Amino acid sequence: MTVCLRDTFSIFATTPTVFPAEANKFWQGGEQVAAAVLGERLDDSNWLRNGITVYLHSAGIEAGYGFFAPNVPANYKVVFELRYPDGRTAYEIPRVSNAATGVRLAGLLDQLAEVSYTPLRETMMKILAYSVWQEHPDANSIRAYFGRAHLPRPAEFERGDKGSYELLFAYDFSFRGRQLNSP
Amino acid sequence: MRTLRQRLEEFLFPADSDTWLRILRIGVALQVIIYSLSLRVDWHDLFSLDRAGVIKRDLSEAMLSAQSHYIPRLGWLVDFASRFGVSEQTLLTLAWWSLLSAAFLLLIGLFSREAAIATVFLHLCAVKSTSGLTYGVDNFTSIGLFYIMIAPLPDRWAVDSWLRNIARKDNHLQGFHRRILQLHLCLIYFFGGITKSAGTGWWDGASIWYALIRPPFNLLSPETLIVWKHLFPILSISVCLLETGYPLFIWLRKTRTLWLVAVITMHLAIGLAMGLYLFALVMITLNVAAFGTEFSFVTTETNATREVVAPRGRFDRAAIDGTGYL
Repeated sequence: MTVCLRDTFSIFATTPTVFPAEANKFWQGGEQVAAAVLGERLDDSNWLRNGITVYLHSAGIEAGYGFFAPNVPANYKVVFELRYPDGRTAYEIPRVSNAATGVRLAGLLDQLAEVSYTPLRETMMKILAYSVWQEHPDANSIRAYFGRAHLPRPAEFERGDKGSYELLFAYDFSFRGRQLNSP
Repeated sequence: MRTLRQRLEEFLFPADSDTWLRILRIGVALQVIIYSLSLRVDWHDLFSLDRAGVIKRDLSEAMLSAQSHYIPRLGWLVDFASRFGVSEQTLLTLAWWSLLSAAFLLLIGLFSREAAIATVFLHLCAVKSTSGLTYGVDNFTSIGLFYIMIAPLPDRWAVDSWLRNIARKDNHLQGFHRRILQLHLCLIYFFGGITKSAGTGWWDGASIWYALIRPPFNLLSPETLIVWKHLFPILSISVCLLETGYPLFIWLRKTRTLWLVAVITMHLAIGLAMGLYLFALVMITLNVAAFGTEFSFVTTETNATREVVAPRGRFDRAAIDGTGYL
């Protein structure tokens, strides 16, 4: 119940909803109270905090249930531009072997978009780029583009709008001189 | 006149059969088996530090450590095995086979409790070591597994019941565990419905449209879907009402069947239209285990089998009722 309240308040406080913006302070306050009840304000090494966290994760109840809520998240894409010593460029996307992993990858991109801590986001992008470089070790460098696809509304789709793509950030990575197994 | 405490006891400890547990055990074990098989090809890529996986296990586990160092993860097993000279690749292969075997034992109900604990642990290790690649289905599988692990095992269909001759547990204990699952599902749907209702897209149908055309869930082409555009607002408002109203209408005897069928239909539709088959399976399993055991195809229990455990006088009403619903 407390986890549900924490996540619901968090969603209401950080995303556009039908509620007025003035209510955001109330949602933020509610989230903080719920987080405190869950021990999240305690020190990292506190036994109570760790006990609650381990229990919540073990029982699968560490997160709320706001799937596709309050709105369906944007569709994110990542594209890698491979640059070769002879000046060639090629484009790649992360590859998975089946649909089940594909769904998981989409979830990863959603999470990546929400990471506001830049060094962590860059590290995650580097790991993705490295997995592509391992398949193309003769590439000089890789530029990773991360963007958001704007999907058309039904009326826009009927008018022929197929959507657009907005670049959110890009990183350059070079793996020259690296061994294949050391990102 | 019954006191509040008696009413609460009747509500929390109704006499119940183990039918719900059979459904939950078999459904969730199947879920884990399919989960394992679906990741068979990518298993080493996902978890090995030496492979070209899309995200490394060490990053997931480092992010996990930011929450707590005591949450289970595959890194523990890899580190432990390395002390005995077992390579990461070998350990990962062993872990996959162990998860599959534990889930299979759980499916047939052999060493039910041990299999449940092993499945919970190994599934948790796998899920937490790929925390960047997890989604709702993993949480719901964990929820189902956790309930099985603490439930009064074995149930009547488990191999343990006849091969190892393990006695069946108190009917009121069965009722209590099922009641907690029922309350949990009510919370899940209520909060899911409330948060959806707060978004404008769920009132004008845009969210249903976006959900269906958004890769990788776009199994149906937009050209096919657009024909049904007038249905989107009705469908999306129905989803909000169905989820938010779940705690009330699933509890009322007159509307329970309708609500249960509607929720199962919703999950079937999500599974088929968006390719979320595992998500559909686990949600249907949880719903049928919690609220669907009164249907005739599973209520084969006789009065004789009910009396394995001596009835308690104070639970008379719930025992007669057979379901414990107030």
